[in-house]
Amino acid sequence: MTDVPPRPDIASFLVSSIHDMKNSLNVMASFLETALRQSAADRSPLRRDTAKALYQAQRIDDNLLQLMTLYRLDREAYPFDPAEHQTGEFCRELAERVASLAEQRDIALHLTCAEELFWWFDRELVFNTVLQALHNALIYSQRRIDLSCAVRDGMLEIRVEDDGPGYPPELLARADAIGRGDCRETGSTGLGLYFSGVVARLHENQGRRGHARLDNRSRLGGSAFVLCLP
Amino acid sequence: MYTAGGPDFSKRSYLVVDDYEGMRSILRNMLTRAGAQRIDFAANGLTALAALDKSSYDVVLCDLYLGAGINGLQVLEEARARELLGPAAVWLIVSSEKTPEMVTGIAEAKPDDYLIKPITESTLITRLGRQILKKQALAAIEQAIRDHEYLKAMRLADARLVYDRPHARELQRILAELSMLTGQTARAQGIFEQILTEREIPWAMLGLAKIHVQEGNPDAARKLLQQLSDGHPTYLEGHDWLARILEQQGEWEAAQDVLQRAVSISPHSPVRQTRLGQVAFKRQDLDTAESALKKAIGLYEHVIRKSPDPYLGLTQVYVERKDTGQALKILEDLASDMKDNDTARLLAKAMEIPVRLCAKEPQVAQAIAAGLAANLREQSHLIPPDIAFVLAGPLIEVGDKNTAAALMSSVVGNNHDHPEYLERAQAVFTQAGLEEEGRQVVQAATRAATEIMNKGVQLSREGKLEEALQMMRQARKRLPYNPRLLLNQAYLLIVAIERRGHDLALELEARDCIDTARRLKPDEKRVGELLAKLELLDSNFDPA
Repeated sequence: MTDVPPRPDIASFLVSSIHDMKNSLNVMASFLETALRQSAADRSPLRRDTAKALYQAQRIDDNLLQLMTLYRLDREAYPFDPAEHQTGEFCRELAERVASLAEQRDIALHLTCAEELFWWFDRELVFNTVLQALHNALIYSQRRIDLSCAVRDGMLEIRVEDDGPGYPPELLARADAIGRGDCRETGSTGLGLYFSGVVARLHENQGRRGHARLDNRSRLGGSAFVLCLP
Repeated sequence: MYTAGGPDFSKRSYLVVDDYEGMRSILRNMLTRAGAQRIDFAANGLTALAALDKSSYDVVLCDLYLGAGINGLQVLEEARARELLGPAAVWLIVSSEKTPEMVTGIAEAKPDDYLIKPITESTLITRLGRQILKKQALAAIEQAIRDHEYLKAMRLADARLVYDRPHARELQRILAELSMLTGQTARAQGIFEQILTEREIPWAMLGLAKIHVQEGNPDAARKLLQQLSDGHPTYLEGHDWLARILEQQGEWEAAQDVLQRAVSISPHSPVRQTRLGQVAFKRQDLDTAESALKKAIGLYEHVIRKSPDPYLGLTQVYVERKDTGQALKILEDLASDMKDNDTARLLAKAMEIPVRLCAKEPQVAQAIAAGLAANLREQSHLIPPDIAFVLAGPLIEVGDKNTAAALMSSVVGNNHDHPEYLERAQAVFTQAGLEEEGRQVVQAATRAATEIMNKGVQLSREGKLEEALQMMRQARKRLPYNPRLLLNQAYLLIVAIERRGHDLALELEARDCIDTARRLKPDEKRVGELLAKLELLDSNFDPA
C-alpha cells in the first residue's frame, strides 16, 4: 500500500464555490443597482462606470449560472421542470431585470407579446437564456431593443432584436455549429450559445425539439437572437 | 408600474416567513412599496403556524429553508391539514436555488408558485399579483369544493370557462377532476384526451390512466403510466399509480423498482417509504424493507397524523430475521410514539404475540393473547387486513381459535367480493391443520355479507324501504368497512330522501357511507355517481 492522498473532488469544490461566488455577486449587483437608482439625475463618468460594473457583474452571474446548470444537466441532476407560463408576464419580468442598465444607456426596450399567450417551458432555464441575449444586445444596440413572443409554425418564438451593427459574418458561420459560438465579445467562450442550444433542445413536444439561432434579420436592422420552443 | 391590471395590494394581509432577518426586511420593503399595509413576520415554521392559527392571511411568503425544524413546504402542508388557509389564500415559496429536492417537494406540496433568488421587486409583485388574481377568480369554485358541492363547483367553472382565458387550463383541470369525482367519466375522458392532443401534460395522462383502471383495463393504464413515469420523473403521483398497478398484477419486483425510483427522487414522503418497505418485505428483500421502514418512521416524527404501518412492517422484518429483541423495541416505540391512539396501542400489544412465539416464549404469548382477546374480537374491524392475517396464525397457535376466527370473519365480511382475501383467510386455517374449520368460517362470513346484500335489494324492490334501511344499519355495525354494503346503504338513503323530502340526518348518513367507501375503494365509479345524486337532491329541493 502506498500513501496516496485522496484525490480531491474538484467538481464538488467548483459547484460549491460557484454557489458562493453567485451569492457574493448578488450582494454586489444589488449594491450597484441601488447606487444607480440613487444617482438617477447624475450624468457623471462615475455613474457610467457604475453601470458598466453592474453590467459586468450580471454577465458573470449569467455565466456562473450557466456553468452550474450545465454541470447539473450533465450529471442528470438538473430538475427540468416545464410548466405553463404566461409569456407576457414572463417578458415583463425579463424587461424589468435589465431596466436599470437600459435606462442608463438610453436604450428603449419594447415588448411585443399577446397577454393571452401561454406556453409550456422551464421558467428558470428560458429566463436565463433570454436574459443573456438581452445583456448582449445592450452592448451593441444604439437606441432600441425589441423583445417579442409569438407563435410561429406551432412553436413559441422568442426574439431579441437590436439596431446595432449586426453579427460579423464569420461569427454567424461558426454559430451555426452550436457549441462554438458567440466570440463577438472579447473573452467570450461560446458558453452562452452552447447553453441556449442545450436549453432549447431540452424542450420537446410530440416529437419536435426546440432550437436557438443567431442571425442578422433583426427588424431593427441589427442582430437577432431567436429561441424556438415546441 | 409593475401592477398594470394587478390586484390592490393595500387591501390584503401578508405573512412573511424567513429565518433571516435581512430577507424579512427586504420582502417587507418590496411589499410596502407595492402598497401593502398589514404585514406580519415569523422566523420559523412553528411561529408561522401560530400566527396562521391566530389570524387569517391573504398571502404567505415563505422561505423553503427555515433553519432547524420544519421547512416551508411542511409548514404549508401542516397549515392545510389544520384548515388554516382560506379558499383565496396565496402561498409562495422562496428558494435560493432550484435543486431536484426542491422541485419534487414543490410538486408534492403544491404551493401556488415558487420564486428563485435573487428576487427583484418586479418579479415578486408580478408573480404574486398573478396568483392573487387567480385564487380570487377561483375562490367561489374552491369554496364549493370544500363544501362538497361538486356539481355546483362544476357549474361555476363551466360559466367561468366561457370568458376567463387566462385560467382556462386550470378550469379544465378542475372540471376534469370533478367529473371523475362525480362519476361523469366520459366528460373527464373528453377533457384529458383533448389536452393530450396538444401536449403530454402529466395530470391529463394520469387522469386517463385512472379511467382505464376504473374501466377494468389495467394494461392500458400501465402503458400510459410507464410513459408518464419515464417522461416526467418529477411527477411522483405517476410512479405511485404505476407501482399500484404492478402490485395488483403481482409484479412485485417491478413495483419495487418503480417505488425505489420515486423514493430516490423524493425521499421525504413517509407513505411512499412505507409502501416501498412493504413491497420489499413481500419479496423477502429484508435489507431494503428495513431501511425504507426505518426512514418512514423517522419521517413521521414531525407529522401530527402518524401511521402504525411502518412500525408493524419493521416488526415483521425483525421477526423474519429472528431478531426478537429489535422487534419488541419497535413495538415499544409504536406504543409510545402513538400513545394517544387506542388502535395503535392495541396493534402494538397484539403484534407482541407473534414476536413472543418467535422468541420461544409461548407462555408470554398466551398470556398476552388472553388479555387482549375480548378487545381484539370487539375491534376486529379496526385491524388492517394485512395485520389480521399476520395475527390469526399465532392466535391459533396459542390456542385461541375463536379470536382468530373473529378476525378472519371480519376481513372476509368486509371484502366478501375479493377472492384473494378469502383465499388468504383459508390459507391461515389450512396451515394450522384446520382446513375444515377455516372453510366454515370463510363460508359463513361470505354468506352473511351476501345475504344482507340480497335481502336489502329485495326489501327495497318490495317497497319496504324503512325495513331495508334498518337492516343495512344493523349490518353496518358488524361490517363497517364493506364498500358494497356502504354504497347500497347510501343508495337506499338517497331513495328515502327522494320520497320523503329534505332530511339533513339522512343526508349526512349517506355522505358518511359514501366517504367511507371512497376511502376503501378510491377508484370505484359508483362512489361518484352516488355523490352526484346526493347533491342533485339538494338542488331539487332548493332551486337556488
